[in-house]
Amino acid sequence: MLRYSGRRLLGAIPLLLGIVTLTFILLHLAPGDPTTAYFNPNIPPDVIEQMRRNLGLDRPLPVQYLDWLRSFFTGHFGYSFSQHRPVAAVIGDALPNTLLLSGISLVLIFVLGCAAGVVQAVRQYSAADQVLTLLALAIYSVPGFWLGLMLILLVSSPVLSGWLHLPISGMVSIDHEYLGWWGRVADRARHLVLPVIALGLASAAGVARYMRGSMLEVVGQDYIRTARAKGLPERRVILGHALRNALLPIVSLLGLYLPLLFGGTVVIEYVFSWPGMGRLLYNAILARDYPVVMAATFLFGALVVLGNLLADLLYAAVDPRVRYDGR
Amino acid sequence: MPVVAAALVVVGACGGGGAGQAGSRTLVLGYAEDLQTLDPVVSTDQNANDLMYPLLYTPLVTYDTAYRVRPWLARSWTLSDSDVVFELRSDVRWQDGKPVTAEDVKFTFDLAKDPATASPLAAAYLTDVDSAEVLGPHRIRFRFSEPHAEPLQDFAWPPVPKHLLEGIDPAHLADAPFGRRPVGSGPYRVVRWEAGQEILLEAVDSFPAALGGPAAIGRVSYRILPEATTRLQELLRGDLQVDGPLEPQEAPRLEGSKRARLADFPWRQFTYIGWNTRDSLFRDPSVRRALTMAIDRNALLQATLYGHGRPAVGPIPPWHPYAPHLQPLPYDPDSARALLARAGWRDTDGDGILDRHGVPFRFRLLASQANATFPDLVQMIQAQLGKVGIEVDPELLEWQTVLSRHRARNFEAVLTNWVLDNFRVDPRPLFSTRAANTPGSANRSSYSNPVADSLMEVGTRTSDPERARRTWAVFEEILRRDQPFTFLFWNDELAGVSRDLEGVHMDARGELFTLPDWRWTGQASR
Repeated sequence: MLRYSGRRLLGAIPLLLGIVTLTFILLHLAPGDPTTAYFNPNIPPDVIEQMRRNLGLDRPLPVQYLDWLRSFFTGHFGYSFSQHRPVAAVIGDALPNTLLLSGISLVLIFVLGCAAGVVQAVRQYSAADQVLTLLALAIYSVPGFWLGLMLILLVSSPVLSGWLHLPISGMVSIDHEYLGWWGRVADRARHLVLPVIALGLASAAGVARYMRGSMLEVVGQDYIRTARAKGLPERRVILGHALRNALLPIVSLLGLYLPLLFGGTVVIEYVFSWPGMGRLLYNAILARDYPVVMAATFLFGALVVLGNLLADLLYAAVDPRVRYDGR
Repeated sequence: MPVVAAALVVVGACGGGGAGQAGSRTLVLGYAEDLQTLDPVVSTDQNANDLMYPLLYTPLVTYDTAYRVRPWLARSWTLSDSDVVFELRSDVRWQDGKPVTAEDVKFTFDLAKDPATASPLAAAYLTDVDSAEVLGPHRIRFRFSEPHAEPLQDFAWPPVPKHLLEGIDPAHLADAPFGRRPVGSGPYRVVRWEAGQEILLEAVDSFPAALGGPAAIGRVSYRILPEATTRLQELLRGDLQVDGPLEPQEAPRLEGSKRARLADFPWRQFTYIGWNTRDSLFRDPSVRRALTMAIDRNALLQATLYGHGRPAVGPIPPWHPYAPHLQPLPYDPDSARALLARAGWRDTDGDGILDRHGVPFRFRLLASQANATFPDLVQMIQAQLGKVGIEVDPELLEWQTVLSRHRARNFEAVLTNWVLDNFRVDPRPLFSTRAANTPGSANRSSYSNPVADSLMEVGTRTSDPERARRTWAVFEEILRRDQPFTFLFWNDELAGVSRDLEGVHMDARGELFTLPDWRWTGQASR
């Protein structure tokens, strides 16, 4: 297992290097540069030229590329052009926020998705199954940003806002620092409710469909019939025997959903004013903030590689038939 | 689903939300974008300047409601054609306790003038100011490179603290921590700045009484809310008191709201179509005049800005003391057709499109798709010009792409807007022959007219206000005849303002310019 992980991580190095190199090339192919992104059109050309020199953009591209690589390997990542502070600090502020949002969404996706899938499979073709199938398909088809906006309008409607004063933007309330410890936790939790639903609900619906299918397949197996024949209570048959096996293919979904989640945060963070990586990357691209775009793409790439590796390792951990270190 | 609903109820029930008591209540402002830096010397961002000039710093001079220059950090001045001597207030302090002195002002001036700094402040204010000389702790002299109009407008910028910024390499000033943790001298100080979330300001208790004293509202949170729908909902819920840049199509949603009202005020931005006068289609001024007359600018204003704007003739805003108040060219498609026919443009092959020497009158109209109103504007312009037989191919592209093509003058016609970054009348960057021959300059239409050139020279050089006003009136008449731009309108700025606030006055000086005078309804004024 260790050797396998080591090999995979080694293999990821050229992959990530390729990603950042391609990003660098694409970024510089795009028209404009950080100095043209400034909204103020009155700045005269010679001042803009000096700004470019100050940012080091007047040097040949290969030199800029090597310079970036050097700063990358020294762990510095350079300075953000648009925030005027070290990129490490910029990412350090945004990354935990995104990990919090997508981590909790991931839990919601799998708990909710699996629960719905199991219920549907156990009561196949029942009214509950039909309703959940319809709901899952409907939710799955809804774009996240639209769902987000609808949630905002819903909780702000006169009927709901009276007793359900859910925040619709940001991570904390304006009086956050005056709250006690538990008050702060509750405040953060309240701010997470809508973004997590908007980010995770569609994926949860997808997981529910997979879970239903996987569960139905397992329930038809001989060992389930055997378990029932032994007279085990239905509860233990489903949760103890069927569920554990039906979960195997779901685990590999984990790796697939991770990049999807990070992609989704771009829109959801925008709608809910969540100061995370998605919004950071989006704004950095618009502002041609090269150092931030490079660092953020690298991080997204690394997270996806890690997520996939994690999923594969989990797969081996839960399924004894899968072994990576050949024997 | 039931699980989600249950979670909603549990988590929703345990929160009070909202703000504290009236006295300590935090004023929340909602804006779409985070600021870049709060160091005025390197700031390139008008939103940041609008926040920091009046709230965090003390500019040498300020403006009254009629946009006339008034004393601020400078108590008084002695003005001549070649120099100005300012007497500075001695009671203004940096927020770390040190007094603001003439040394700080000179330091700021020298720093901004240093070419290595690449300071937009110098570009906006200091082109005609040559040197600064400290005459005493609170006395400073600036020498002008030559006599010019509105000389006091050169000093509407604030000093930065010398003791904190001395010794920093000007080329890397933008990356200094000061930009995100500024120490200013204004009525508010920055408590914290959380990127992408909020900038929290706190009133300075010791702000001099002569400049209005401490601000009435103790805490101000500048919150970053990128999505317009979210911002508006926060305002209507009462969790936000100012919805900064309100889109015109959102304005009706504030009608009848008990919580908020619409503030509609003149602004520093005009929208125009720039013609590339080096393109054979647009070389002839009479053709450009015809194009303008074929476009119903008032209809565009009503349809896209719901009337929240003013007619435009030239680059001098209608609220400016020097505004000539000319009438724009009329909307008159028949005269437009006649003008085009006289220039040789006729529909000879009967396909509905004008042609000359076998070439149809067809051009690409470049515009940024990021601007909420541009796609609609482009469509309407396309339809209106179609009626006189001109075919428009809309080219809606990403903002940076549009800008770099516009700047490189690689376009036929462009729909865009222009924002003033100071109140001085100086159209030379936009319309002078010199700028036309400078690559990368703002005269991207390559407009050149020797008469306009000499009028701009006179207007910007004369120290006689009456002469300046007359000169600009003639200049705008020439622009109206030459139409290097089709000026569509001056955009009004809109904001949603909570009814919990009193004393809110917004105008072209900036939405937040009068914020130190705002107070909560029922609170005593300062």
